[in-house]
Amino acid sequence: MAVQKLSKDKVAEALGELCKFRLIAPAKSDDVVVFKRIDDPAEAYLEYGNSTIPPKKFAFPQTETLFRFIKGSPELTEANVEEEGTTVIFGLRPCDARAMAIVDKLFAWDYDDPYYLKRRELTTLVGMACIEPPSVNCFCTSLGGSPFGTEGLDILLTDMGDYYLVQAFTDKGKKLEKTLSSQLEDGSAGDEKKAKEMALASEGKIRRSIDTDGVPEKLPDLWDNELWQKVSAACLGCGICTFLCPTCHCFDIQDEVEEGEGRRCRMWDSCMFSEYTVHASGHNPRPTRKERTRNRVNHKYSYYPGRFDVIACVGCGRCINLCPVNIDILDILEQVVDA
Amino acid sequence: MAEKNEDFEPNIVAFLCNWCSYAGADLAGTSRIQYPSNVRVIRVMCSGRVNPLFVMNALQQGADGVLISGCHPGDCHYMQGNYYARRRFNLMRNFLEYLGVEPARVRMSWVSASEGAKWKEVIEEVTNGVKEVGPMDQFKRRQLNW
Amino acid sequence: MVDVNKLRETAKEVISREDVRELIGYRPGTYGFRARPAFVMGPDEAGELIFTPACVNNLASYIVLEEKLPVKRGEEPDLRKVAVMVKGCDSRALVQQMEEKAYERDRILVLGIPCTGVVDMAKVEARFPNILELGEIALEGDRFVLSFNGTKEEVAKEELLADKCKRCRYPTPLVYDELLDSEVERFADDDYSDVEEMEKRAAEDKWAYWEEKFSRCIRCYSCRNVCPMCYCEDCVLDRLQPQWMRRSVDISENTAYHISRAYHLAGRCIQCGECQRVCPVDIPLMELNRKFYKDVEELYDYEPGTNVENPPLLSTFKVEDREDFIM
Repeated sequence: MAVQKLSKDKVAEALGELCKFRLIAPAKSDDVVVFKRIDDPAEAYLEYGNSTIPPKKFAFPQTETLFRFIKGSPELTEANVEEEGTTVIFGLRPCDARAMAIVDKLFAWDYDDPYYLKRRELTTLVGMACIEPPSVNCFCTSLGGSPFGTEGLDILLTDMGDYYLVQAFTDKGKKLEKTLSSQLEDGSAGDEKKAKEMALASEGKIRRSIDTDGVPEKLPDLWDNELWQKVSAACLGCGICTFLCPTCHCFDIQDEVEEGEGRRCRMWDSCMFSEYTVHASGHNPRPTRKERTRNRVNHKYSYYPGRFDVIACVGCGRCINLCPVNIDILDILEQVVDA
Repeated sequence: MAEKNEDFEPNIVAFLCNWCSYAGADLAGTSRIQYPSNVRVIRVMCSGRVNPLFVMNALQQGADGVLISGCHPGDCHYMQGNYYARRRFNLMRNFLEYLGVEPARVRMSWVSASEGAKWKEVIEEVTNGVKEVGPMDQFKRRQLNW
Repeated sequence: MVDVNKLRETAKEVISREDVRELIGYRPGTYGFRARPAFVMGPDEAGELIFTPACVNNLASYIVLEEKLPVKRGEEPDLRKVAVMVKGCDSRALVQQMEEKAYERDRILVLGIPCTGVVDMAKVEARFPNILELGEIALEGDRFVLSFNGTKEEVAKEELLADKCKRCRYPTPLVYDELLDSEVERFADDDYSDVEEMEKRAAEDKWAYWEEKFSRCIRCYSCRNVCPMCYCEDCVLDRLQPQWMRRSVDISENTAYHISRAYHLAGRCIQCGECQRVCPVDIPLMELNRKFYKDVEELYDYEPGTNVENPPLLSTFKVEDREDFIM
């Protein structure tokens, strides 16, 4: 199938067409760009660097109901993810799509998570290539990603100036292309060639890097190394690095009851909170921020690759950009490499 | 925001101190004074025991208005509990107003054990005030997504 | 401007003292103009310390943030002092902490930095985006001079200055053992115009404004954790029994969270602005804190963090306190 292109004049029309699904696109409120449900194409803000919060919450919501119950009744009503309907996430960055592909492995591991997997099945990811790396702290190329990466994506859009080059890679992507057939035009092979050049140019502009070879194997030996005390000394124990991480996926499960009705729900949790590991007895096996920081790095760079053969970090740079005290994962990894 | 509804009967949660206001409300009852039945009383030992988070939580759980009532200044059974309460709720009330919660929803009164008639007036004023501003819909726990 | 050599020498001296365990200061960050907290444990580490207008963090938080492990049998607790570098605003956090008897004055050693204002890093990075190589910011007169990549740029102070500094009443630390530079005259004052503007709005407008802000909150608790005044060992927000705030993230719980956070700082917030600085989704938290700050000043003539002898505002009262709102 020939490549397609989407003229910029027709973007609004295409988004309008996609509004018949649950359309998720970047939108701006104040100076913060977040992905949200869009009902009006004018809300979408496509000229962005990267969103503050990754779009992971549309597969793995920050709070979601698992089932509901009523006092005195043995019946449970399970949440029906199907009702959320077909979802299109439009304009996400390749790193965030790749993160979803990485997290998929966990939710389909020893136990198939029906909520997550159903949502993923219903979701089509339409990515937007990074012509320029969105942030000075991008380092996707160090982890097997790319500003034009396609892993996890169904469709990749590339901004060619007056139009977007549209490349579909999966059946879901091709199906969506058909939906948009009246907005798309045929592209040329030259466009694809040009996109490849742009990809190389963009990769060349990524300025931060880390050699992760051997890091997963080395980390367990550094368990008692003094570097953890040093890198975690400034940590405040907030949840910015984990909540804004596209691959972090820890959750807590709680019951919430209101006037005889209740629900069991799950919500994001963060290994940086002291509450995360505290036992009912009051004992906490990770008593200080040192252990918690060590766990965060180990989970991403050692336990996850040990289990799934892929590092649970895509190099989006959010945790570096937004850490209130400038704790820098690359700085930590450099110390790991040097240790 | 709030729909003006003639039939709207607000839920008002009242935190009454054991020694004055609760006894005052009791006196209103034994004296057969009629007052609006919108108020739900929670007895506490002292107005100083009322945590400002109670107010917030009541509004979250479905109260349209909250009343805190204690002894007149100088009459507190524990000498000074109501003075502390006075500071706390002045700040809380102003703050909620700043967020867009109408001040009519958070009220405070001094009602002594002998003021059954005043209790009636207070409840009438609070109820009418809350009726005026309508149902609390700013941050009630909505069962959206449930 | 603080002379960096003097700063390092003083630090070296302080950390060499037998009764000082560690020194908390600033060092260059990992990229661009950032600076980050430094934890100096020995004299040889003092050489990396800096103070520039990029040193935005309030280090007073770390005094109360320390998670102490139980002392092992046969060991003695380490009772040596913690030395800390503080700007004017940060010093007020120390005053307020001591006012609340969080610790004794002799537990800390304060290196005061008379401060002429720090930058708002968001403004700096918006103006000079994508700077990876370490840059430096200095204040020269009424201009910030930014050096990076071998070039120098000058920007009017007003344009990059943090908002809190434009309202700063106490540029010189209120508590210190050693002052690292000569005292700075007060160069700004607070007229609460932003708070007053919000107060004048209609209830519907106010709620629409806050509803939009609160609905963005992701409850990462960075505003709580960074706050030098939030140091309860058992935070009401973490409690499960009773559970004041549910963990679910929706407008009701988020509002409850923000009411509780702000209310717990009533009469305690010292206007260091850290909460707003760290918020990843730009919720204007200082507008909440400043409402209390204004009310507390107007109603009770009280300014938090200015005098260790003051009793904490809400654990005291005056018989003649205002009660015109009471029926």
